[in-house]
Amino acid sequence: MPQSLSRYRPLLISVAVVLAFFATLSATMEARIWVSILLSGLTLAALYFLLASGLSLIFGLMDVLNFAHGSLFMLGAYAGWTFYTNPRVIFNTAPLFLALFAGLGLARWTHLLADRLPRRGLGRWLGLAVVVLVAVALLTLGFQAFPLDRLVAFGTTVAGRQVATAEAQEPLTQGLTRLVLLFLAGGVLSLGVGSRDVRQASAGPTSATTPSTLRAVGLPAVLVGLSIVLLLVRDAGETLMLKGLPSDLRFLLALVVGAATGALVGGLIEVGLIRPLYARPIYQVLLTLGLLFVFDQSVKAVWGPAGAFMEIPAFFNTASDRCPSPDLIAWLSDHCNSIMVLGRPFPSYRLFIIVVGVLLLAGVALLLQRSRLGIIIRAGVQDADMVQALGINVRRVFTLVFALGAGIAGLGGVAAAPFVGVNPGLALGFQLPAFIAVVIGGMGSYAGAALGALIVGLARAFGDYLVLTGVQLPGMSQALKASPTVANASTVLIMALVLLIRPSGLFGKKD
Amino acid sequence: MESTAPTTQRPVLARAGWLQRDGLLLAALAVLALFPFITSLLSGEAVDQGAPKFFQGLLIQMFIFAVYAMSYDLLMGYTGILSFGHALFFGSGAYMMGIALKHLQWPLLGAVGLVIVVAIVQSLIIGVLSLRVHGVYFAMVTLAFAQVAFLLATATDFRQWTGAEDGLQGIPVPALVSPTDNRLRFYYLALVFMVIMYLLARRIVNSPTGRVLVAIRENENRATMIGYNVFVFKMIAVILAGVFAALAGSLNALWNLNATPTVLGLDMTIEALLMTIIGGVGTLIGPMLGSGVLTILGYWLNATFGRNWLLILGVIYVLLVLFLPYGLVGTWRRQSARFGPGGWRELLRRTRS
Repeated sequence: MPQSLSRYRPLLISVAVVLAFFATLSATMEARIWVSILLSGLTLAALYFLLASGLSLIFGLMDVLNFAHGSLFMLGAYAGWTFYTNPRVIFNTAPLFLALFAGLGLARWTHLLADRLPRRGLGRWLGLAVVVLVAVALLTLGFQAFPLDRLVAFGTTVAGRQVATAEAQEPLTQGLTRLVLLFLAGGVLSLGVGSRDVRQASAGPTSATTPSTLRAVGLPAVLVGLSIVLLLVRDAGETLMLKGLPSDLRFLLALVVGAATGALVGGLIEVGLIRPLYARPIYQVLLTLGLLFVFDQSVKAVWGPAGAFMEIPAFFNTASDRCPSPDLIAWLSDHCNSIMVLGRPFPSYRLFIIVVGVLLLAGVALLLQRSRLGIIIRAGVQDADMVQALGINVRRVFTLVFALGAGIAGLGGVAAAPFVGVNPGLALGFQLPAFIAVVIGGMGSYAGAALGALIVGLARAFGDYLVLTGVQLPGMSQALKASPTVANASTVLIMALVLLIRPSGLFGKKD
Repeated sequence: MESTAPTTQRPVLARAGWLQRDGLLLAALAVLALFPFITSLLSGEAVDQGAPKFFQGLLIQMFIFAVYAMSYDLLMGYTGILSFGHALFFGSGAYMMGIALKHLQWPLLGAVGLVIVVAIVQSLIIGVLSLRVHGVYFAMVTLAFAQVAFLLATATDFRQWTGAEDGLQGIPVPALVSPTDNRLRFYYLALVFMVIMYLLARRIVNSPTGRVLVAIRENENRATMIGYNVFVFKMIAVILAGVFAALAGSLNALWNLNATPTVLGLDMTIEALLMTIIGGVGTLIGPMLGSGVLTILGYWLNATFGRNWLLILGVIYVLLVLFLPYGLVGTWRRQSARFGPGGWRELLRRTRS
């Protein structure tokens, strides 16, 4: 009994603190006020959790602290927003990237050629230079004069950008030329990916088996086919997307697109950039910080430095004379912008964010506790080498978990976009609280990430309220007021407190 | 006859050992000292006009960043502490200089004193809190602190002191060190500043304390076992790096006549990392060289690619981390250790000791 008590001590303490907190609230504030602040806090907490859970899982399993996690959140938000406001972009850009990946998929063949390249002295550098130059040239040709600004930006909220129009479509032959060029570029790049150095640096002991011919040819072929089909159905597809789909369905698809973007980019980062550096952990961190910078700049380059708002889908935004809905039951038929909670209207979309957060919390917890993959992940957190020794390809699990965490972050980005809009500040703006949440909860602990996110979210919401209404301290004639920025900054005080009392966090293992 | 030549040469060499060791550095210093006049001769314009003036400006920025990058390497390269919040010190130095000169109207020396005191206090607070965690945790926690400082600098609450988003504009710089009155004088001020800071850093690195810092980097547990109070030494490294960076930041404020929130931003930390990694981690010359490369590269990229030059810089950074982890100086030393004649001697020395 004492042993189990000490095991749950952090949990018990936090429950006690939370109870004391609510006791103070109900004694000092009206219920309708603090309940609505609480809901705002939960909204933020849900978003922070979507970031913190991935951060914590990735760190727990592979000891990589992903400083670019906020960027994945932001990329997801931008991808989802772009798809939601202008679905045609997917038919124009996706084929290009599919063709590029198809070319990269040729690595299983091109490594035979790559192994013949000189591996020492001048010849090695010369070969490298030729490969890089040809690849850059092909990539430049493939993307040359791509009407990105007419395809990506959409709507009046983006100042100075044109609204996407049908004229932005290129002739099919041009699109096909781009496909061929990018496929070739991918093939050339695969020389580098398939080279023995990279294979040795990245491959786990189990991946020495030769792949079947079907897989080696099949994947690139399927990708190429898909890209050509996507390009061919482009006109029909965009008519369907823009005119045929209601905004709710488009929003659902946008969530999928955001999550897929996050997962794809995350997976590629793990395989291409982080894997070669497992022997040099510090450089992994330096690399992810660099990626944060690169993504920040590329988002500014593609979408512009100004942000944009995202329209709330009709499901949460139907105007009628019965709005705001008096309660949840009435809302189910009205779909109003806001719902009355104890006599105060609360935006219904924010309730959706909370639901998404809770669903993912439960879903990932189920995955971790009840599935085979979850068992492997939890075992890997304990001792990755042991899991590898048991004959499980831990490297593949690493990639999967990285993609999973990144995908959750991307989904969170899309969910956040109608609430906070999209702008280049999203990455750091959400990563900072997620970091604080992870430090509070303890690195590598899933429950800790959830609890930390909850604490930071509530602290933000109540902090905002306090600084705006003012704090009356004894002995002061005027209430102390401040801007929300100060409340935002003061969440770091919680982190400082946790660092002082329990540096490993509430649920963290002692180091 | 044959044996006399070495015997007469040896004492001379020993006496002039520092000349041989630092010959390259001294030559570089001489070039930098004469640089304004060389550019003036080459371009045919007066020293305080046109191209010479422009290149002096470029080099002044480079000297300031060289000290900033060096301070970062004291932490990362020598002590093995990975901080992602170094902009906090640089930016605070800039803001403190600005506040002392503009709002408190202190004399320059008083302002420098304030910068140093604030830097020490900051380092102590950050150190006490953050050094409780290790490795990437430390990086994460320092990033959080630096971002908070950035947020506070942009907050409207302190507008009368910091100028919020606009930053602290129009710092009244004393005429003696004003970059607008006499840029050539400021050029030499920055150069002398850099040289003094380099000599100081070299003295620290080669002192017993510096050796302990390297020992901590190599194996923290072993340093603890030997009996060193690792926490105290790490704290010393944090304070030294903090003060160096703050001084560089304060000079930056004098040079730009302002202090904007960007000096506290993440980009500033990344710049320190970039310079250190380009030049070579764990050396003093490396980061300084890195600042030179970055300044020239940045100027060229900016002129060639315009708005997107930072993106290209980021990609270069990622490629460097992947393929050139030891930087210019580190890679050169490794290569010369493998092939060069001096390298063989070094290799023999290492195998003997």
